[in-house]
Amino acid sequence: MRSAFRRMDLFTKVCSTWLAIIAILAVVGPFLPLPDPREADFAAPGVKPFSPGHLLGTDSNGYDLLSNVVNGTRVSLMISLVSVLVGGLIGSSIGIISAYVRGRFDGIVSTLFNIILSIPNLVLGLSLVAVLATSPDPSIPVSSNRRIFVIMLSLTFVIIPILGRIARGATLAWVNREFVVAARSMGMRDKDIIFKHIVPNVLPAIYSVGFLAIGVVIVAEGSLSLLGVGVVDGVSWGAMIARVAGEFTYLPHSMYVPVTVLALSVIACNQVGDHLRSRLDLREGKI
Amino acid sequence: MKRLGALGSVLRQLGQAVVVVIGSTLFLSLLLRLLPVGLAEIYAGGFDEASRAARLKELRLDKDPVTFYLLWLRDFVAGDFGPIVSPGGGTTPVADKVGSALPISLQLMFYVQVVALVVSVPLGIYTAYRSGKRSDKAISYGLFTASSIPNFVFGLLLAVFFGVTLAWLPPLGYVSPGENLVEHFRTMILPVASLAIPLIATYTRLLRADVIATLREDYVTMAVSKGLSNKRILFSHVLRPSSVTLFTSFALNMGALMGGTLVIEQLFTIPGLGSEIGIAIFSRQFFALQSYVAILAVGFVLFNTLADIAVGFVDPRTRERRRA
Amino acid sequence: MTALLSIKDLVVRFRTPRGLLEAVRGVNLDIPAGASVGIVGESGSGKTVMSRAAMGLLSGSNVERSGSVMFDGQELSSLDSVQVREYFGTGMAMIFQDPMTALNPVRRIGTQISEGLRVRLGMSKKDAMKRSAELLAKVRIPDPEAVLRKFPYQLSGGMRQRVMIATAIACNPKLLFADEPTTALDVTVQAQILNLLADLRKDLGMSMVLVTHDLGVVANNTDFVAVMYAGEIVEMAPTTELFANMKMPYTEALLKSIPKIDAPTEKRLPVIEGRLPNPTDRPEGCGFASRCSYAQDKCRQDRPELEDAGNGHLYRCWYPLGSTIARKSS
Repeated sequence: MRSAFRRMDLFTKVCSTWLAIIAILAVVGPFLPLPDPREADFAAPGVKPFSPGHLLGTDSNGYDLLSNVVNGTRVSLMISLVSVLVGGLIGSSIGIISAYVRGRFDGIVSTLFNIILSIPNLVLGLSLVAVLATSPDPSIPVSSNRRIFVIMLSLTFVIIPILGRIARGATLAWVNREFVVAARSMGMRDKDIIFKHIVPNVLPAIYSVGFLAIGVVIVAEGSLSLLGVGVVDGVSWGAMIARVAGEFTYLPHSMYVPVTVLALSVIACNQVGDHLRSRLDLREGKI
Repeated sequence: MKRLGALGSVLRQLGQAVVVVIGSTLFLSLLLRLLPVGLAEIYAGGFDEASRAARLKELRLDKDPVTFYLLWLRDFVAGDFGPIVSPGGGTTPVADKVGSALPISLQLMFYVQVVALVVSVPLGIYTAYRSGKRSDKAISYGLFTASSIPNFVFGLLLAVFFGVTLAWLPPLGYVSPGENLVEHFRTMILPVASLAIPLIATYTRLLRADVIATLREDYVTMAVSKGLSNKRILFSHVLRPSSVTLFTSFALNMGALMGGTLVIEQLFTIPGLGSEIGIAIFSRQFFALQSYVAILAVGFVLFNTLADIAVGFVDPRTRERRRA
Repeated sequence: MTALLSIKDLVVRFRTPRGLLEAVRGVNLDIPAGASVGIVGESGSGKTVMSRAAMGLLSGSNVERSGSVMFDGQELSSLDSVQVREYFGTGMAMIFQDPMTALNPVRRIGTQISEGLRVRLGMSKKDAMKRSAELLAKVRIPDPEAVLRKFPYQLSGGMRQRVMIATAIACNPKLLFADEPTTALDVTVQAQILNLLADLRKDLGMSMVLVTHDLGVVANNTDFVAVMYAGEIVEMAPTTELFANMKMPYTEALLKSIPKIDAPTEKRLPVIEGRLPNPTDRPEGCGFASRCSYAQDKCRQDRPELEDAGNGHLYRCWYPLGSTIARKSS
């Protein structure tokens, strides 16, 4: 890991450091000496950053911005990581097996992937959340935890064909190589071939796209919140942005805080994913 | 014989498109059945026993999911996009809303793509020719950052800065071109910019990479050795092979744009399809939602297929590969 | 008599992520009008970089070039990449190793040949096409009118190479660089192409720089030969003199490594052991020392200068062939 860090250029180093920081914040957030994110400080609504007691200021309701952002990191990261890890695992497994087995199974899987991918990401996510998070009584909104669960489920579903197609494509490129044919002719079992030969070669492509996918899900969570179906009451980056969207005209700092954190995280994910991809290209001799 | 091959490939692609469209619309239709609360409960819950059955029949909720879908498909193809259910009873056609909202969304998407191409093509070529120099490196970092920042972030920042702080442009609202052309453009500038900036970044980087790769080709060195000018080499040897990836990205981004318009329309209160989708979700009009999403999916598939077919014509190497 | 092309102290360096790569380090070469010069070396010797740098085709933000290149009385190294193009086509031209990649795969042959005529000589489209057909006939392509309308992938390798030659000589250049013109072709076609080039040279009074790794190719087709190794010229002489009085162990090794059709089949193909020195980190002393069968301590410590053996024969070796030490070791 340390040698990988050394191999990065300065920009990538900064980005991975940022990701490490927000990961740590996600874990230790609730233990930090910050005001309760859900408790509004009525005495100090809409104060600017560096005011006493509120390092980054508060929004018009008095919610501490720093506390909300730090605690929101946990939810946003959790949603992103779970969606990408679970969706990636499921999608890649299907993709790899499908490319290895070929034939009709591969045709069906490939068509299914294309069908789901034909619906634009956000539209699909939105539809899933809208449908699954509907409450029986329109006056009682669905609980925050249920919301988070539904969002994770929906975004996992969105990620499955994305990473599945990548995994399938990468596997297709390897499955015809001579060493696979050689392994088969030696009587090696399919399961072993897949795990020992194919997966190690396909993994780098998958996890470089995986980082990009984390960025995509972070943005999706933000977009869903802005559309009104995100983690509306809870504490997450998207929820923060949605809550202050109405007051950005006169309290811009309340919006800059979550927006900057979100944007920096997406940039960092993209840069790390891009760096991994160029290292993969180097290995394959494409550069 | 050769012409039949090209036609066959096109037909095959159209066939695949139809399969995908049916698959995705069927998926959406079945999705509605997944509602934790039944549609029957939502739309006919308030009715008494007597009129309930009639209401369910009117909304076709008495049919099984497959029949429901097939009937919906038949209507959809004919242009009947289903009902907006009024709580008290009766329905209004979704088609009306689509008729007023869709053109506005299409305007937005069209402007965005045009602006993005107009800016990114010269910028991509410029940076490719100056690759490695400081101006290129600076621009490249800027582009990378811009392509990573989500469109709603640009939307919010632009709205604050230009719409409120400087108050040069109206941050909200929409004026149709029929009413007042100048105002129409003034209301569209910020939303178009929010969507176009990340797109410009993506397109420029793509084109730059492809042009750099093409410039390394032997036939470009040969063209230089013949004494041809840079301009001539650019137009007759470099542009066409370099534009293939851009073309494909252009088509793929139509889909991303559709998702983008969802958010941006709501942010800038533009009454397009995106806003209508938001309203449908909020007011639990799931039939309308199904049709709206189906329209987007169909549009996306259609566009991608057309782009694939076009790429086959423009790049003879892809054509050969496809026939194999 | 002033040379047509005069290269003095040409140095070419590339800035790479792995360090500064010296591809050409101090080359001096004069090419008279109407002469044919061979440049021989392994891949990586710098011969291609040198010919492209001399012509002015090397560009890129990571290229450092120094030294003088005089063509027909004009100093080319002071011109930028746009100005130097005035000399392309009508003054200098180049044919490349692989005609499949050097011809644009999606444009017709006729367009590619006539392009130069229209831009450099101002010909009209019709005249240019007519002249293109004549050029195709000159390079001995049958049915030129039909070939004009074809695409490169529809022709055989030898025909493509002829098309490339036709394109290069279209505007009657005074100097033709031929970069490995026969390497991508099979042996029977090689001879045809070399003969064609020889005839065209005589016909047009053109000078030619023939860059190749094959000593056999230069043997019959050049007036004098320069052997390059690790970025510098290590031996240079009129062709007959070179083969009669070879001085460099390296040149001898090159000659020995040409496979002979009558060699006994059980014997291994002769190769030159070892590899070229790393161009970003060249060792002290002679670059060939680690692979030379006559190498002495002095060779490994001091880099030899270019010596003159008379008869226009230059060499760069402490213990050239024919000297006492070499005779003792062999």
